[in-house]
Amino acid sequence: MGVVVGARNVLARLASAAPVRVFVLAGSDAGEIENLVAALPLEHETVLVDSPRSANILLAVGDLPPSLHEPARRVHDQMSHPRRTIRLSRTIREKPDAIFPGAIVHEESADLAILLRKVHRELLTGAQLSEPAILSDEEPATWRGVGPYGQGGTGMTGGVPYGRAMAETAPDRDGLALDQLSVRVGPFFPPFPTGLALVVKLQGDVIQQVAVSDNPFATNDPTSDVESGTADPFALALHRPVPVAELEMARARHHLRWLAHALHVQGLDALGRRSIAIARSLGPGGVAPIAELTRILRRTRSVTLAGAGVGIAAPDRVRDRGLGPVARAAGLREDARAEDPAYQALDFEPVVQAEGDARSRWWQRLAEAFQSVTLAARAGDSRAGGNGRIEAPRGLITIDSDPSTEALALIPDLLNGLEWGDAVTSVVSLDLDLRATIFRNLA
Amino acid sequence: MIGLGRHLVEVLSVVLVLSLGVYITVVLDVIVGQAVAGLSLRPLSALMWPFRQAALFVLQQRTSTERADAALWALAPALLAAIASASLLAIPLSRTSAYADIDSGIVYFGALMALVMVAVYLNGWSANSLFPMIGGYRFIAQALSYEMPLALVLIGTALPAESLSVNAIVLSQESLWNVVRQPLGLPLYLIAGLGLAFWSPLALPDAADLAGGTESELSGMPLLLWRGARAAVLVAVAAMGAAAFLGGWHGPVLPGAVWMVIKTIALLLVMITIGHLVGRVRLERFVVVAWVVFIPLALVDVFAAGITALE
Repeated sequence: MGVVVGARNVLARLASAAPVRVFVLAGSDAGEIENLVAALPLEHETVLVDSPRSANILLAVGDLPPSLHEPARRVHDQMSHPRRTIRLSRTIREKPDAIFPGAIVHEESADLAILLRKVHRELLTGAQLSEPAILSDEEPATWRGVGPYGQGGTGMTGGVPYGRAMAETAPDRDGLALDQLSVRVGPFFPPFPTGLALVVKLQGDVIQQVAVSDNPFATNDPTSDVESGTADPFALALHRPVPVAELEMARARHHLRWLAHALHVQGLDALGRRSIAIARSLGPGGVAPIAELTRILRRTRSVTLAGAGVGIAAPDRVRDRGLGPVARAAGLREDARAEDPAYQALDFEPVVQAEGDARSRWWQRLAEAFQSVTLAARAGDSRAGGNGRIEAPRGLITIDSDPSTEALALIPDLLNGLEWGDAVTSVVSLDLDLRATIFRNLA
Repeated sequence: MIGLGRHLVEVLSVVLVLSLGVYITVVLDVIVGQAVAGLSLRPLSALMWPFRQAALFVLQQRTSTERADAALWALAPALLAAIASASLLAIPLSRTSAYADIDSGIVYFGALMALVMVAVYLNGWSANSLFPMIGGYRFIAQALSYEMPLALVLIGTALPAESLSVNAIVLSQESLWNVVRQPLGLPLYLIAGLGLAFWSPLALPDAADLAGGTESELSGMPLLLWRGARAAVLVAVAAMGAAAFLGGWHGPVLPGAVWMVIKTIALLLVMITIGHLVGRVRLERFVVVAWVVFIPLALVDVFAAGITALE
């Protein structure tokens, strides 16, 4: 018995020094906390995992709308023991937390990595107890199948009978009758933005039909206020002039953080971490690390392998919708900065690509990051904005419109007929943020 | 009784060699990852990383899914590890120390590696969950594309040796390694090997766009075993590559076994570095390129090797 306890203690000591396996739920209105989470992959002691199954820490950041509370709890209950939830939000109004009753609640945490490490260690050494399930462990509907896998049950095939996806026969793109599976992906599928849920009909891994569920963040929540957006210079620039250098550095950092996420989805975690490191240490005029990263991606042909000919958004589909880099990647010279006197004084010219595919959108954002750092170095103390519309990293934002809402409408056409991997690459390349609808509330 | 003891020692030594290979693979992966990321290298942390990660998975709960096929799910990592272990038997570590100098060692290796498809598909199918299942499907398409080039380039190395024995193939490289004699062979073998070990950029069944694919529902010990077994397959691929193309245990001054280890680690390093620099390949593109480019090139490699052997 003593040997077993001793061995367990040795294992616990070793395990507590292992990288903390964290699954992130990113809500809205997280402010600076979101930047701390984005930098977590740079910590040797932290791994952001793609599946809650192998996570020990659930990091819930910001606010989640009520419609996402139950899905968030389902994510929680999928985690392995020992597990713990850390809830970080600037505007926590209830303790214990309304979504995760057992969560460790912080209103801010500058030392996020240290907090994660501490909770992880205490969890593994038994100093903290593992959280129980929040939801009852019941099947979503009565199992009516016959046999161990329900293969013989009446009514257990076709569509989503009794809450479970079951295959049905349907013609494929070549006219053959093949199994088709209806599934819902999201709202916490890591490659997608938080809140995006797709209802897809799959044949193998080919998408035959896709529908986008309602945006859970698109509410007129009266609790949102102007102050909540102060961390974002583009939100501020809607209402008052902001230094161009600040806007452009924020744009470059945004594109590099997006690139890190896109690289992760393509299996290039190390290069993704490099991109985050560049974003963190970026200064005006410091184009060398961006140029070096671009060179690596060109030489290894990773961007071409991932996105050449994938998710083509034709100019007609994206014209005059304020889609920013998505439109410019299709060859359209749409950029609100070109109409701003501050940018005109800097001889600003929008950079554009031609093909409009996912590859073009990657190169577009890298080129814009490069351009932004150069602009920031030349901008001096010039200011832009204050007239209710501004070219943000994702596109044109105004008091009553945002590019993500516009881009959501592209998804069904863009994804139909694609293999799942290409569909994910396409969605990632749109750089959606459903939480951006908060801008509407800022009005 | 003595014979049984000897076999037991041999089995344990295979497990030990493979475990060491897995350990080296994981450490290399951490170090190369840190270098590519441009982060400060932490050698001690990298050396401890496999132990710490393994301890965490041992203590982590093993989760399950609704109506999973528990028996086959448990079998999948064991099968993958067994395939890697058994394949090592035919690879000579030195002139006299192959566990089993099988006359048709190349065929034995290829036959075992064909079973990787079974293990990966089982892991994907038996979870009774969407993303693991798609991961399993993906690997079947991937395997049907890399298996032909893999088999052909290995047959190419057997022609100059006039034998299917791996030891004979190593002996045939005493004056000239196959990497020089058959320049198409090693690059094609490494690409196919990355596919076989479903290692990035061909980690399609376990890719991030499937939230981990066949391993997305795994946690704890099953996840530890699965990842360990996958690394073991990569070790087996590297070891066979060292024997078939880099002269195996041939080399000056140092003992043959040391040369074999150095060459295996060198190939591991090449494959791991590729994995950190080249992004996930689209499955459709890989299938097309494999059938249109790799298989014809592998055929050219075999024909050239045959003509050279006849001279």
